[in-house]
Amino acid sequence: MAQSPSENTDTHPVLGRILGWVDRPGSANRIFWALVVLCGGLFLADFTYHKHGHFAVENVPGFYGIYGFVMFTLLILVAKTLRIFIKRPEDYYGKAAVDSEDYPAAQLEKVDHDGA
Amino acid sequence: MMALDMMPTAFLFLAAAPVFLALPQGMLRAMLLLLVPLIAGWQIWTLPEGTFAQVQFLGMTLDMMRVDKLSRVFGLIFCLAAFLGNLYAWHVRDTVQQLAALFYAGSAIGAVFAGDLVTLFFYWEGTAIASVFLIWARRTEAAYHTGLRYLIIQITSGVILLAGTALLFRETGSIAFQTMTLGSLGTWLIFLSFGMKCAFPLLHNWLQDSYPAATVTGTVILSAFTTKLAVYALARGFAGTEILIYIGAVMTLFPIFFAEIENDLRRVLAYSLNNQLGFMVVGIGVGTELALNGTASHAFAHILYKALLFMSVGAVLFRTGTSKASELGGLYRTMPRTAMFCLVGAASISAFPLFSGFVTKSLILDATAVEHYPVIWAVLVFASAGVLSHSGIKIPYFTFFAHDSGLRPKEAPIHMQLAMGITAFFCVAIGVYPEPLYALLPYEVEFHPYTTSHVVGQLQLLCFALLAFAVLMRTGIHPPEIRAINLDTDWVYRRFLPRVIAQLSGTVGQIWSSLEDSIESRLARMITLLYRLHGSETGLARPMRPGSMVLWVAVLLGVTLVVNFIV
Repeated sequence: MAQSPSENTDTHPVLGRILGWVDRPGSANRIFWALVVLCGGLFLADFTYHKHGHFAVENVPGFYGIYGFVMFTLLILVAKTLRIFIKRPEDYYGKAAVDSEDYPAAQLEKVDHDGA
Repeated sequence: MMALDMMPTAFLFLAAAPVFLALPQGMLRAMLLLLVPLIAGWQIWTLPEGTFAQVQFLGMTLDMMRVDKLSRVFGLIFCLAAFLGNLYAWHVRDTVQQLAALFYAGSAIGAVFAGDLVTLFFYWEGTAIASVFLIWARRTEAAYHTGLRYLIIQITSGVILLAGTALLFRETGSIAFQTMTLGSLGTWLIFLSFGMKCAFPLLHNWLQDSYPAATVTGTVILSAFTTKLAVYALARGFAGTEILIYIGAVMTLFPIFFAEIENDLRRVLAYSLNNQLGFMVVGIGVGTELALNGTASHAFAHILYKALLFMSVGAVLFRTGTSKASELGGLYRTMPRTAMFCLVGAASISAFPLFSGFVTKSLILDATAVEHYPVIWAVLVFASAGVLSHSGIKIPYFTFFAHDSGLRPKEAPIHMQLAMGITAFFCVAIGVYPEPLYALLPYEVEFHPYTTSHVVGQLQLLCFALLAFAVLMRTGIHPPEIRAINLDTDWVYRRFLPRVIAQLSGTVGQIWSSLEDSIESRLARMITLLYRLHGSETGLARPMRPGSMVLWVAVLLGVTLVVNFIV
């Protein structure tokens, strides 16, 4: 049910239409490469000032960047492995858990942006 | 306003209840719920430091109001959280939820100002009882069961606190709530009670179980009080207790893995909350002035950005009926403001420079470095990258961006936007200009978060982690959002123990019934035998006539005579 090319976005809020830029073709690539450039810049920035960390390892140029990249990747891989062991169907705990239950509609105001 | 000076702040909330009930349901009640935390906040702001409102109770002196810098900063943020939560819940016309929110905030504030353990106990249980109604107010069978599980654990925590207090009183003759040293059973029990509410590892699951089950607005209110009350209690009672450093470090670590693969975004936030508590607990364990300031300020900032994140996910739930990542995506089109507020919350919890998390978490990280705990420091830096992964990226990205779910919900109601806007404002204001918050902290601080190495280091950590995320997404390695749940330690009491008990009761039942059977058959055989011997058909039971009786007696006597004669 993804956005169809014919969808009329004129009724969307202005801010939403401006943010629509992220879904234009090529935007994802632009964001990615901008991030790469930003990371490169931050890495180089480490050479421009005198570091005085509490631990020697902090003085290694780009320490935080490398640590962040490696540990983030590890985190995702470990979590993905963990999922193999602990994943269960939504109704695993039956009626005693909210996971397989719909939120009571009477307490919500489910309205579409165009009032439908 | 003279009376206000002498009144414990919690009583304001209790006194508001009859006024609330006297008002008709509608705007007036909603306004009262905003007014009470404002008055309470103003009172706390103006109160001088000291202990007052002492009450005699069963021969003990209870200190209802102990005002010092530590209790004041927690009291203030609780008032602010109550105000923002009630503003977010402006549309709610459910008396149960409204009263629960009132009593819950009042109890939490009462507990913060409690100068003795007995007063603390009363308010401690007050928070448990009041808050469960925010879960039950969902009014479904599952919410009822979840609320019961929550209540049992919360009440148990209070009972353990009471037991510890009694033992401590027997040992020291005092019920004062002050810094304790772990050693006696009494102090350990109190420690355990605080730990349960603070969601220590293995005692944590009530949090992830119950918060996603509460109502849209209930979760926002729940997220502020219970656990931060426990953080306050630990900071008051066990500052500098080394074991807390290790407990806290584990707490920062394990939830990030679970949060990464969890589908219900409100549960992701509950795991994330658990991880944030870990940072605070580490600060308490380190126990230096810098570290305790870090804990207090981080609790302050955390309540705001965590509430903001719960508000934005709540608004999505309110409009779409789901908070599951697998069902959402692309909502920025029609809920752009909520998306922006969510991003502010995400940036704050991830501790981007100029956002609140940055100026508060650095204190704790620096404290571990200054006191030279390299491993703990490395764990906390890793956990900071972990925070980015689930709260910084996962929450906003999979809700508002990523693949288009096709949902086009209307923007959140105005009052929700207002609540999110004010909260977001505080998140940015604290980040840009932290001095007023620093001035509220328990100790004098000389801390400068915006040094070149701090800023560049933190930006490197976050941006490279973002880059890792982008690479993993582009290569398809990042785990997809799927409709499923994940087991956690609550499996033990939700599945394993019930099964064991069912098995045991089955076995015991079988043994019992076979025992019963054998007793029954033995009895039957005995009865049959007796009947055969003494039954109406048998000789022994034949009725005798008096005549024959006399005859037989005469015969017997005759025989006796003969025997005597012979002998």
